[in-house]
Amino acid sequence: MTEDRARSLPLRRMASAVLPILGAAAVLAALPSVWFGDSPYTTSLAVQALVFASYGVGFNLIFGSTNQLFLCVGALAGVGGYAAGILANETSQPMLVAIVVGTASAAIVGGLLSWIAVRRSLGIIFTGIVTLVFSLGFANLLLGQRDLTGSETGLIVEGVPSGLADDMVGGYYLFAGLLVAFLIVFRALQLSHIGWAFRALRDDEVAAELAGVDVARYRVYAATVGSAMIGLTGAVLAYSAGFISPATYSFDRVDVRVLVMVAFGGLGTLLGPLIGAGVFAILDEQLTASLELREVLYGVFVIAIFLFFRRGVVQAIVSLFDRFSGRGRARHDLQPSRE
Amino acid sequence: MRAVVLDGIVLGLAFGLLGVGMTLVYGLGGVINLAYGQIVVLAAIVISVVMEDGRATFVAAIVGVLAAAGVSVLLDLTLMRPVYHQHGEERTLLGLLLTLGAAFVIGGVLTWRYPDGALYIFVSGDPISIVGVPMSVGSIWASVIALAVAAVLLLFFGATTFGRGVRSVIQDETGARLVGINPSFVRTVIFALSGALAGVVAIAQSMSGPLTVNAGFELTTFALIVTVVGGLGSVAGAFLAGVLLGVVNSLSAHYIGQYITTIILLGAAALTILIRPRGLLGR
Amino acid sequence: MWSCATPRSSTRISGGLALLEVEGLAAGYLGERVIDGIDLEVRTGEAVAIVGSNGAGKSTLFRAIAGLLPTMEGRVVLDGKELTRRPAHRISRAGIAYVPAERHLFPAMTLKSNLVLGAYPGRPDPSALELVYELFPRLKERQRQQAGTLSGGEQQMLAVARALMARPRLLMLDEPTTGLSPKIAQVAFEAFEGLKSEGMTLLIAEQQVPLALSVADRGYVLESGRIRLTGTSEELDQNPEVRRAYLGVA
Repeated sequence: MTEDRARSLPLRRMASAVLPILGAAAVLAALPSVWFGDSPYTTSLAVQALVFASYGVGFNLIFGSTNQLFLCVGALAGVGGYAAGILANETSQPMLVAIVVGTASAAIVGGLLSWIAVRRSLGIIFTGIVTLVFSLGFANLLLGQRDLTGSETGLIVEGVPSGLADDMVGGYYLFAGLLVAFLIVFRALQLSHIGWAFRALRDDEVAAELAGVDVARYRVYAATVGSAMIGLTGAVLAYSAGFISPATYSFDRVDVRVLVMVAFGGLGTLLGPLIGAGVFAILDEQLTASLELREVLYGVFVIAIFLFFRRGVVQAIVSLFDRFSGRGRARHDLQPSRE
Repeated sequence: MRAVVLDGIVLGLAFGLLGVGMTLVYGLGGVINLAYGQIVVLAAIVISVVMEDGRATFVAAIVGVLAAAGVSVLLDLTLMRPVYHQHGEERTLLGLLLTLGAAFVIGGVLTWRYPDGALYIFVSGDPISIVGVPMSVGSIWASVIALAVAAVLLLFFGATTFGRGVRSVIQDETGARLVGINPSFVRTVIFALSGALAGVVAIAQSMSGPLTVNAGFELTTFALIVTVVGGLGSVAGAFLAGVLLGVVNSLSAHYIGQYITTIILLGAAALTILIRPRGLLGR
Repeated sequence: MWSCATPRSSTRISGGLALLEVEGLAAGYLGERVIDGIDLEVRTGEAVAIVGSNGAGKSTLFRAIAGLLPTMEGRVVLDGKELTRRPAHRISRAGIAYVPAERHLFPAMTLKSNLVLGAYPGRPDPSALELVYELFPRLKERQRQQAGTLSGGEQQMLAVARALMARPRLLMLDEPTTGLSPKIAQVAFEAFEGLKSEGMTLLIAEQQVPLALSVADRGYVLESGRIRLTGTSEELDQNPEVRRAYLGVA
């Protein structure tokens, strides 16, 4: 009897680990047939949401898991995108090679930033400022290197099979697949000893260090993997969209949105970025009328979330629900990774 | 070359005041006000609206400064309350995030209502020669105003009881409480002061060229750079850094290029954090 | 004279009505009570000592009285005026001057500026400055020096002097001998004796019991957050428990 129970425990753990991802994958797979109705406009909206969700997973790994305030998500994506694009245009390397180079470049830059922050013992604030400086500096670099990058007019990236363009269903499935892959990596890390180290260092850095956790190393790990995710997304986006410009990866457009949406869905949670991206995609749709009004709303959201919903609006709703239904059982998929 | 340097000084004086406004709020409460640039823009818009209404420039300027101070006080009395309940890094982080939100709200509302809003205070007159360089009357006025305000600030912090009280809160808040100073009240007053300074910057900047409604984020970035380079919390440091970076900006823009210039300024901030985090004159 | 203008309800004679009354005070950190059920009083012109070892709760008690720590239970009354749960700056203006062990001086300001601020919000009258320099001549020598560069003993003197600038009704000193050599500690307590003879009301927390009892009229023994004993300084000095625990006598 006890043997059966002992055997079913890991099975249950495996289920709770995999189930949310399977669920998300199923939803994503079904979405086009349910919602898109062959409209390239809706498809491109969904693709945009997927792109941001992917950025969000990477950001979650860096900030949510190891407390490194990287205000350079857009720039990292830009490193990926422009490295791939420039390589493709200047040297006509095949798409796959260019994307790998783009991903690697972003991973190296992100890892480097983290390493520097760790070496100089920069706190959250200074890390934030340094990465913000990098963001703005990178944008200016893109604008300044007219010959290489095309400055504001942008860069056309050739070489993508037309089925994968960002307003085609093929493109949608490409990004959906990418996102699911990222979720698997995130989950795997969460459940491994690396995830344990992340939680330890997030809860109490000094205690973690004393317990033998090499805080510096794990921070750089997290930053490198997270940046790779972000860079990969940026690189694939470059091909899928066929055209990129500094605006594609600017701080305004990317970082603020990623921050708000991940915070909304719940920092550090698995599906938080997904939910956040989805909600904000719908919101954006409703507010296409006025860009400025959208900006005001974002501001209100930022304030509301960080004042009242520190663990994410989703978590707040879930706890409310749990309290009403009398269920105290922890819900692993939405619970931030404090186990 | 002299002309470039002088232009740099004119710009730098405005930068300096901008930095002082931001560093004061940080020094007193540990809050980095990311909405600062938007408050400058708010002042500019208010002034331009009042001027369009037919009022004298002087009156409009006063209204603008008061409006900026008022909005800042409002910010302090509302959003900053929960921020001050936190301490240390938590407080700075929350303050950063909430003021970011405020920046979007203010900026969004301004660009929504006044999409073409801009302030340009045109001062008529022939260029006056300073050390052999012809300077526009507007630039000279801007510099004079900035210097005058700086002098008043110096007097305020150095010689008045309240000013000394402010410095004491920056240096040791508990000690200040023990001698009977209410840090909360001081913070609100300083928030108002920083708002007023934002108004002055709006006036000074708009005398050299139009200040548009979209300039908010850029101004916040400059303020942040100057504050970091000068040393978070150091008023003298911010002013010095402002002037220095203004000159650097001018020289670099003239001899190298616009984009590189921004990169250089950003690099200065990054280098300061990495090599000498306390900045030029910070502790 | 150091006592301030016409106190309201207490007389100038030592042993008169209570200036400071503490009833049932409880305070602590993060929900935990560090001190509990504290009853004490200080009469005008008295010097009262709070003795106890490290961790007994002396600093917690003082911080609670001074308003730096919110009280969980109980009352603090100064000369009939309710001070419980008032903010620290209000308590300071009401006439309680607290000199913490950490001193909390303004390091980048001159010694003189530190003193001037002691009289906040008013400007200090020049006689206050003169009296303080008389009491601590060393401070006059170094008045233009930055407070952060002073030696430990000088900083202690400055902290006490700054507290005196507002002509307080009650002077609370928390472990004033921290970081001082025995000789300077002696000098400090001689200064406190001087203050007391000028009419100042003192409340002193000290680990060094003999020193504390040398100036104090009465004392309270604080142990694990509660008052264990109270009595005149002679009584406490003779008490066998006190002698064993704090005076190193078998």
